[in-house]
Amino acid sequence: MSEPAIVVRRLTKRFGDTDVLHEIDLEVAEGQATCVIGPSGSGKSTLLRCLAFLEEADAGTIEVHGEPLGFVEDAAGRRARLPPQRIRAVRKQIGMVFQQFNLWPHMTALGNVSEALKTVRHLPRAEAEARATAQLRKIGLENRAGHYPAQLSGGQQQRVAIARALALEPKIMLFDEATASLDPELTGEVLNVMRALAADGMTMVIVTHEIGFAASIGRKIAFLDKGRVLLAGAPQDVFRKPRHPRIDQFLDTYLDRGAAMLI
Amino acid sequence: MTPIIFGLLVEAALHTVVISGVSIVIGFLIGMCVSAARLSSNRAFAIPARVFVSFFRGVPLLVQLLLIYNLLPVIGINVPSVVAAVVGLSLCTAAYQAENLRGGFASVPRGLLEAADMAGLTHFQQLVRIRVPIAFRLTLPSLVNEAILILKASSLVSVVGVIELTRMAQNLDTSLYEPLQLYSAAGLLYFIINRALALAGTAAERRWNWGRA
Amino acid sequence: MELGARVRFDYALVASKLPEIFQALGITLYTWILGLAGACALGFLVAVARRYGPRPLDLALGAYVELFRGTPFLIQLFLLYFGGPYAGLSLDAIPAGLLGLSVYGAAYFSEIFRGGFEAVPRGHVEAGECVGLSRAQIIGRILLPEMTMLVLPASVNMAIILMKETAVLSVVTVPELTLTISAIGTEFYAFVECLFLLALFYWGLTEICGWLGRMGEARLARFRFAAA
Repeated sequence: MSEPAIVVRRLTKRFGDTDVLHEIDLEVAEGQATCVIGPSGSGKSTLLRCLAFLEEADAGTIEVHGEPLGFVEDAAGRRARLPPQRIRAVRKQIGMVFQQFNLWPHMTALGNVSEALKTVRHLPRAEAEARATAQLRKIGLENRAGHYPAQLSGGQQQRVAIARALALEPKIMLFDEATASLDPELTGEVLNVMRALAADGMTMVIVTHEIGFAASIGRKIAFLDKGRVLLAGAPQDVFRKPRHPRIDQFLDTYLDRGAAMLI
Repeated sequence: MTPIIFGLLVEAALHTVVISGVSIVIGFLIGMCVSAARLSSNRAFAIPARVFVSFFRGVPLLVQLLLIYNLLPVIGINVPSVVAAVVGLSLCTAAYQAENLRGGFASVPRGLLEAADMAGLTHFQQLVRIRVPIAFRLTLPSLVNEAILILKASSLVSVVGVIELTRMAQNLDTSLYEPLQLYSAAGLLYFIINRALALAGTAAERRWNWGRA
Repeated sequence: MELGARVRFDYALVASKLPEIFQALGITLYTWILGLAGACALGFLVAVARRYGPRPLDLALGAYVELFRGTPFLIQLFLLYFGGPYAGLSLDAIPAGLLGLSVYGAAYFSEIFRGGFEAVPRGHVEAGECVGLSRAQIIGRILLPEMTMLVLPASVNMAIILMKETAVLSVVTVPELTLTISAIGTEFYAFVECLFLLALFYWGLTEICGWLGRMGEARLARFRFAAA
């Protein structure tokens, strides 16, 4: 097996006195989908935001393709923050999809997807828009290029947000509850785009409540509870009976959301 | 009232529009700086900005105008009264606009900036491409409102001798003794300009609605 | 030129002016509080008349509100004080100021109250109708108490605006603070210093007013659930 895409070691994040993440160890394999599940408040989103460097952890390290993200620690546990350009170089490999889409409301779908190609990659306008159009075609929204986010359905907005992230050709895609604020009938179109990405061999970290989806797409499942990785492994191992009582309890709560097929 | 007299009032109304317009623009620029200082984590910027906003919102504009008009010569700045009037109006509206802008910037959803961060936009690019357009759009209604307030408040600069609509009506009244007609006509002109401003504001809001119904 | 060098306060002279200053302060507070009360009462009547009166009355009052909100207070005051005598309404400076403030403020207050009426959920009124309350009872026992909380912040704001507008009354020779202190400043050749003190004074007054308003809001906040 090839070298992992992301290696998380003893990652700890505190808000005030509480450890939201407590010494998390996790490996994300190259070219596979890794799903992070767990009850609300278990720290899954915080973990993902640390991987995106939107939150800075208080201890522990993250390596992306062997390169440290944000901080290095020596053997004695002394931390040092890396210079901004090194952080930027690592973050360039990472794309993120948010629960709230976070599309820029004053730009069209095409504008959202081409923005960073123009301002960050400094591509000429025509080339940036050609690439953005191609990206929109892939997710089947080429005919919505001139629409503003407010004119798109939730599912379409989230697909544009995925296209926006993919346009920058990231090596790793992070999904933070990408379907949680969608009406149930709209989740399918977004999950299908994610499935297609996984089939293409994209390295993905997916935080989700859709247990059925996680079980079907995830080659690895990590179950978080109270800021710790309770269990991590292949779906059949995590969900096999007899299950850990916390997972049983968790699944009971989510049975009506497609988990029934697993039992 | 003869057409010539009404023509004089219309001409004076143009002065009112120019004085208010210039003050609004200068006030917007100062307001931008003040709101940036107000939002700064550095107390050396934040506290003076707070005092500025509190003072210029807490003191009657008439007193501010009299103070500035009389203060400028004392500190060695000799300028025409119209300049003193514009300085006074600008500072006053800057305080109000700073508060509006502060609200606008605070209302830009965090997630939009995080998305920009993930896309690799620098802080400056985030400011120019995301924060400013959205904050400006959010504050557009209050900006129009402020323009209307300043247009009305500009009548006070007549007190320091600037010839604008109110002062013109007063001057004409001293020789014509037709206060009812003159002040009604002046009021009507203010009203028409304000209506036009409000309509323009609504049109601008509709123009930049970004696809919302 | 040094600003400090131009301060030439003769404290004995200032002391001799103190009664005059206190009287002017009295007039500022008097015109403010009476003008505020008048504006509030008149604004309330306008809001009620527009809501429950016949349609022509609503249109006429709507025109009044728009005209008075769309023109400068100073113009309204000139029209009343200088134009009034030509229309058979001769008023002294203080009554003219009070009437001007009330009519001007009422236009704004009526809009505040109108918004308040509209913000009270319809269901609360319907519930009152269902248990057989009369229209007056519904206004007095349901709408008013709920509205008070809803309109308080805007009303405090308006009260502060009116306090600042009292300074404009100096232009029509109401002997309030701005006029009196300007006159003293001219007499003592200390115009800037006097105006600065005047500004500080108003600043303090508006700050106190805003603080009292926030206290009132905090006290009423515990009734918020009723309006939710």
